[in-house]
Amino acid sequence: MIPVMYVLALAMTVFAIGVFGMVSARSGIRMMMSIELMLNSANINLVAFSNYHDDISGQVFALFSIALAAAEAVVGFAILLMIFRHKGAINVDTINILRW
Amino acid sequence: MQEYAVLIPLLPIFGFILTLFLGRKLPGQGSFIPVLAIAGSTIISVGVLLEIYPSGEVIHQSWHWFSLINIGILVDPLAAVMLCMVSFVSLIIHIYSMEYMKGQGERYYAETSLFTAGMLGVVIADNLFLFFLSWELVGLCSYLLIGYWYRKPSAASAAKKAFLVTRVGDVLLLAGIFITYANMIKFAPDSQYPLSLLEIFRHITDIPPLQLTLITLLFLGGAAGKSGQFPLHIWLPDAMEGPTTVSALIHAATMVTAGVYLVARTFPMFLAAPYSLVVVAYLGAFTALIAATMGLVMNDIKRVLAYSTISQLGYMMLALGSGAIIGMAAVGIAMLHLISHAFFKALLFLCSGSVIHATHTNDIRLMGGLLSKMKITGYTMLIGSLALAGIPITSGYYSKDAIIEAALEYGLGSGDLLPYLMGLFTVLLTATYIFRAWFMAFVGKSRLPKGKPHESPWLMTVPLIILAFCSLVFAGAVNSWFGGKIFVEYVGRTFERIAGTDPEVLSAMGGYHLMEVHVEHSFLILPLAFAVVGVLIAAMVYWAKKPDPESIVSPTNPIYRLLITKYYELPIIDFISMRITMGVAILTKVVERIFIDGSIWLITQTGFLLGEILRMAQSGIVRHYATAVALGTGLLIIGLWGWL
Repeated sequence: MIPVMYVLALAMTVFAIGVFGMVSARSGIRMMMSIELMLNSANINLVAFSNYHDDISGQVFALFSIALAAAEAVVGFAILLMIFRHKGAINVDTINILRW
Repeated sequence: MQEYAVLIPLLPIFGFILTLFLGRKLPGQGSFIPVLAIAGSTIISVGVLLEIYPSGEVIHQSWHWFSLINIGILVDPLAAVMLCMVSFVSLIIHIYSMEYMKGQGERYYAETSLFTAGMLGVVIADNLFLFFLSWELVGLCSYLLIGYWYRKPSAASAAKKAFLVTRVGDVLLLAGIFITYANMIKFAPDSQYPLSLLEIFRHITDIPPLQLTLITLLFLGGAAGKSGQFPLHIWLPDAMEGPTTVSALIHAATMVTAGVYLVARTFPMFLAAPYSLVVVAYLGAFTALIAATMGLVMNDIKRVLAYSTISQLGYMMLALGSGAIIGMAAVGIAMLHLISHAFFKALLFLCSGSVIHATHTNDIRLMGGLLSKMKITGYTMLIGSLALAGIPITSGYYSKDAIIEAALEYGLGSGDLLPYLMGLFTVLLTATYIFRAWFMAFVGKSRLPKGKPHESPWLMTVPLIILAFCSLVFAGAVNSWFGGKIFVEYVGRTFERIAGTDPEVLSAMGGYHLMEVHVEHSFLILPLAFAVVGVLIAAMVYWAKKPDPESIVSPTNPIYRLLITKYYELPIIDFISMRITMGVAILTKVVERIFIDGSIWLITQTGFLLGEILRMAQSGIVRHYATAVALGTGLLIIGLWGWL
């Protein structure tokens, strides 16, 4: 059995990659992918602790979370699609008119 | 009857509500409703007085209202006689108004009924808070009724003037009540209702004397506003713009005496307050004198009576002030004159109303020779004038004589005869000005430009006859003819039944030396002599025309000019209101603009500036926000870690 620490380390690594990708991304697609990474690192945590505590509810939550991620991806990509149609590109740095 | 005492002020309130809402649909604009309601109040008042008279007991009923304030009634001899007078005179005047104000709208009857309720509330209130509420209610009704013919500009502005000038006094009274409250909280913390009169009387000795002086002088300021004492007398002559019945009810018989009643009601506090009673005596005597001089030259019959009212109220104040020597008897003497004055002054006003009804003018220069056409009005007014002048067997003779005697005792006891001399000289002026008006209106040739005057209908003359009867016999009957000073002793003993009002203790606290002063009987003839001389002067000038009044009344005569301009009242008021008040207003405006507005401007500008800086953070680039969120969350986690 893999010790829980290892799994947590994996989750943390994935989360860090997600954060880095999120912060550094110019492309909208890449940003969406980074968000997915962060979400899934949280799912890994849920499953790991579920296994550790021998309690099935963590895994149930992970399933919910995956469903939620799918829904979120749909909305996010729909927005990106509209931006692409409007601007001809999906560079998020160009979408900066909602400010002072 | 005692258990119904609370109905005395409540019945006129019901009368007010009914008349206001139903009056339009009832015959005679519902004027009979207030008459019935006030008749009820009168019956209860008289019943209560007869019930408590033999034992001299005090009726006190009190209910909790809120916090430290109670609501209740206090009927002691002082309040009982006042209740009878107010409700009786109000009843008479309401009957008279049924004819005099016919067809002038039901609002008049509703408002006079409300006024009566307020005035009875002032008299019956057992605490200063309720007293002040009623006091303001009568002030409001006075304002509404002075401005009853509000389409007339002079009436509207007179109402405003009355409201504003009495407001000065009301603010002083309110300040006095606040200071009383603060002192009661501080020095009598165990008292349940600090504004209840009985509680205050019980704890007078706990309050420092100089605080009492401050309180009583503020009360006196309030009394001066309501009772038209110098220098707040200026509103009362203008208040004659209202209907004559209003002048008779409010500005002669009842409301203006509320100030005197306030001083009488809180007399134990005055007696324990150093200097206050001396101020009261001087204020009263000075007001009596100065108002009488102005009354000499007025041509509007109602204004003559208005100055006369101010002057007579000054006498009542003088009587109360002489309590510095004669003690609690001063209250009885002041109340005797108050009630006797209420009868004869209401009579004089109603007579002048009858005259105005017949001639359609207020100007006595346009009247003359009315006696043959209006016999009842003429002779009843003669009785009122005799009573005002203080000619024997009339009520005014006994009541005013008692005041002059009290002032003389004060003078001999304290060695300060000035108030007495002012009061004595005013007797002469009083007799002169009232008989000047009477002679000008009722004898000689008619100077009316048009119209034939005729006697008023019976609804108006019957009240005149009743009041004339009271003016003739009241003071003599209750205080002289049947075995001594019954009234003065009964009312003077008011405070004996109330705890904490021992005159010896209080006067020692106030530094007054109460004593029995022996007055030579030869002195007592002086006021009568002065009154007779006054009548003779008026008769010589305005009846016999020797010397001709035209030669005295001319704009070149400096004394006449001084009096007809009311001691340059207008320029002085203009100076006070336009220069001093405007100066203060401009100063406060500058302070407000620079310091108050400025500080607020500074705060807003700081906010704007900070906002300008902070909004730089809003770049609109998503990655920056994401970085901020990530860094912030990281810092939060590190911080929580350290904290845990």
